[in-house]
Amino acid sequence: MKSLSKFIIVIAVVLFANNSLKAQNGLEMNVNYNVGLPTTGLKDYITKPSFRGFTGSLDYAINSQLRVGLGIGFNDYYQKYPRQVYNNNDGAISAVIRNSIQQTPLTAHINYTITKTGFIRPYVGAGAGVNFISFDQYLGEFDNPTTKTKAIAQGEAGVFIPLSRYSSTAVKIGGTYNFAPFNEFGTNNLNAWGIQAGIRFPLH
Amino acid sequence: MNWNIKSTTLCFLAIGFLVLNGCKKDPLKNLSNDDSRIYISNYDSTINFASYKTYSIADSALVMEDNHFLGRVHGNYETAVISQLKQLMQQRGYTLVDTSAKPDLAINVSEVINTQTTIFSYDDYWDSYGYYYDPGYYGYPGYGYYSPYSYGSYTVASAALEVDLLDLKNATADGNKITAIWVGLARGEDVFDTNNVSTEISTLFAQSPYLKTSN
Repeated sequence: MKSLSKFIIVIAVVLFANNSLKAQNGLEMNVNYNVGLPTTGLKDYITKPSFRGFTGSLDYAINSQLRVGLGIGFNDYYQKYPRQVYNNNDGAISAVIRNSIQQTPLTAHINYTITKTGFIRPYVGAGAGVNFISFDQYLGEFDNPTTKTKAIAQGEAGVFIPLSRYSSTAVKIGGTYNFAPFNEFGTNNLNAWGIQAGIRFPLH
Repeated sequence: MNWNIKSTTLCFLAIGFLVLNGCKKDPLKNLSNDDSRIYISNYDSTINFASYKTYSIADSALVMEDNHFLGRVHGNYETAVISQLKQLMQQRGYTLVDTSAKPDLAINVSEVINTQTTIFSYDDYWDSYGYYYDPGYYGYPGYGYYSPYSYGSYTVASAALEVDLLDLKNATADGNKITAIWVGLARGEDVFDTNNVSTEISTLFAQSPYLKTSN
């Protein structure tokens, strides 16, 4: 967690403290629609994909290939399970269960575009930060909401498709894997894939 | 001057949190009254329910509101509940007898109404509730009550039907203590609707297959 904090601070310092940012026109914004696909521990509660999701980031282009930035994401996972009897050691409960999980990761990240030129420019990236989690399981109309703040790490890959030869505005299509530790309610993670499509544009 | 960069970043983060968190699907939207109800049954797993043969049941229900005893009620709903309980107990092999015949078991029906939207613990409820029981009704004056079950806490206002199966057979051996060996609870919307009685009681019994005696 300490190294994670340092990483975020370094990225923040780059973004906030560099007086030449505006002059270099190095600041870019990414806005993406994001589909979340539950994996491993998250699938214990939600198996359906989340179509309510977005990601966004503010990135600083250190050069034409390397970018650092701060990102935010959101995905709302929801699934209803029909009435079923759940047995325990000394009884049972019959209920319609609704699981509702929201993840809002706030990360510092680094992104590297593999090719400088070309119609399609592949990229890879990694990030780390904090994950604000809202976890709520409804038994009938009764729930017990919980919010947690946990660490998160991300790996990403995809392609940028520039809209013109001389512009840094580009369509982004990519995927992210979120390593999201949780260790609550009998599951140790809320890992998920993210499939994104969006746009990157410079902030002048 | 980096004001534009900083303000853009801060706005980006603030809007991100506010707008994106507003995209949550409401789990209670379009929730039907049927789906809102839950049925909980707890039992003492060390008990051999086949060792009990007879039972007695009160002809009315206790009413508890916010941990206060309001009295007993005997309307259409309560009549339907008691009738359904008698029917299912008979199917499970138990014989209904008068309290004077020293039944092995007693069934208590109660209606719990919680009007306060605060944390509500059924442990607290039982502490108050046991006080209002009338052990003398079953021929055990001066006896205490005990329930080992916990239902957790909830932060909503709601109503519940509770059915308690009390061990009279071993009350004296247990130190003059009447223990609830099975508790059934139905909670949610329209729980006190007479039309839902059959579903409520039959669901509680269906998820309690051990609740039967041998003939």
